[in-house]
Amino acid sequence: MSEAIRAEKLVKTFGHVVALNGVSLQVARGETLGILGDNGAGKSTLIKILTGYHQPDSGQVFVDGRPVQFASVDDARAHGIECVYQDLALVNGLSIYHNMFLNRELLWGGPLRLLNHREMRRRAAAALAEIGVAVPSVEAEVGALSGGQRQAIAVARAVMSNARILLLDEPLAAMGAREARLIIDLIERLKARGDIAIVMIAHNYAQTLEICDRVVLVQHGEITFESAAAATSAEQLLDIVRREYRAARTG
Amino acid sequence: MIGARRGGVAGRAYGLLLRPEASVIVVSVALVVYFEIANANFVTPANLQTLSQFVAAPVIIACGEIMLLICREIDLSVGQVFALAPFLMENINDVGVPEPLAIVAALAACALIGLVIALITIGLRVPSFITTLGMLFLITGLTLTISRGYPANTAGGPVLTGIMGEWAYSEILWALAIVALMHIVLRHTRWGLHTVAVGGNIVAAAEAGIAINRIKTANFVLTSTLGGFTGLLEAFRVGSIDPLAGGSNIMFLGVASGVIGGTAIAGGAGTIVGGLVGGIMLGILQDGFTLQGINAFTFDIVIGAAILIAMVANILLARLRGGGTR
Repeated sequence: MSEAIRAEKLVKTFGHVVALNGVSLQVARGETLGILGDNGAGKSTLIKILTGYHQPDSGQVFVDGRPVQFASVDDARAHGIECVYQDLALVNGLSIYHNMFLNRELLWGGPLRLLNHREMRRRAAAALAEIGVAVPSVEAEVGALSGGQRQAIAVARAVMSNARILLLDEPLAAMGAREARLIIDLIERLKARGDIAIVMIAHNYAQTLEICDRVVLVQHGEITFESAAAATSAEQLLDIVRREYRAARTG
Repeated sequence: MIGARRGGVAGRAYGLLLRPEASVIVVSVALVVYFEIANANFVTPANLQTLSQFVAAPVIIACGEIMLLICREIDLSVGQVFALAPFLMENINDVGVPEPLAIVAALAACALIGLVIALITIGLRVPSFITTLGMLFLITGLTLTISRGYPANTAGGPVLTGIMGEWAYSEILWALAIVALMHIVLRHTRWGLHTVAVGGNIVAAAEAGIAINRIKTANFVLTSTLGGFTGLLEAFRVGSIDPLAGGSNIMFLGVASGVIGGTAIAGGAGTIVGGLVGGIMLGILQDGFTLQGINAFTFDIVIGAAILIAMVANILLARLRGGGTR
């Protein structure tokens, strides 16, 4: 498997707070990495550096083995990095295909620059079919969909815009078992394509171990545990966190 | 804005019936039948002409207000721009500028007012409700100062005057042309789509990289310009200009036309066609009750109540449809 994205010794501070204290990780194409950790551990800062939202104080990010500096989110997008945030960034009153093409609309040629609804519908439907997301119609309003379907639309949008490195922020948060299954299956299918590296942030140890190939645990801005998911149990991860709680109480 | 369509003709027909425009059209037809029974003069060429004049101005104003409402803004001062525009045109004309150019210059000044509203609202983060409330008083004062409080006559040759509103149906034709154009803008351009996105989920719009401020500014400029244009049309039709024409009354009719036609006050949803049918319904009410010879004092009570009922009904209908339009 070829390396898609690698971060080396990322450090990020906000005033006196050290959010990341030398974090290194790498993800290959076709691999899924789970990032676990408590609130405030540094997961979000890490993701935001990878998406170009924050710039690290020191350390280096590599895409396809080449060192990169992201000045902005658009910059990271140009390198094939797409992030699906928890709020999903969908407009409820708009149809599925309008959401999938939001601000990247296809236009008819000519000076009038009118929207090419037909081509957008066609391509949106094809993109959804390709990754196996079932919707009643691409003309359905996003507001009428379930949480799982909405998440799937947001992921499909990222994939359609040629994401090669897909960051998912809590993709299974607040989702019932059946809805979660929809997204887990979708991630499995994306993984099977072999050309996308997936990084997902999560809280739920058991689910993350099931979905991901490898997991890392972030604590106090450092990676304190890293292992193949198959060789790890949720109990093992819980033990590490419990130990920390105990240390925090006595220390 | 875009209904979830089912397959087949029956599905499409069902979807159409659930649209807010459909219920307004049904009520409008019922009103026409009622007024025709109550007064045989309702469906006559002469009255249809009168009706078209009731309808035209609010509908054009509605085209601007609908765009603003969809992106969660409003312009309360559009009726004052309506009154100001003809005086600007006449004053520019008096200096020796040909009438057609004076019209363009007056419209440019109205566009500038929209730009000022946008700059204050966006730049200083003042709710547009407040910005335009202030502008409402400011522009009234401006119009009274320019006109010294006196009405004036409109200048211009017969051809121009005819095109701009004096010919019986020219105002409604302008209104229909603007409706057609704005329908295309809202449904078939990025400007329209992004207006819906900004009103529907401003965070999502920002994350997608939509230029939110540019969209809002365009809609403020559009509304003021259309307000001024409507004022010019009315001035040419009536043949004189009045510093107290239009005002909050015409603004309110424009907003009401939009809301009756299904535009969501909370933003994110609305159609231009809805504004047209809403305006037609309001016109039928006004015209019908005028023909009935209702007492001038009770007239406003009846109209006010009718507008209130129509707006509440449509908001309830939207909720019944499953909250798709909120």
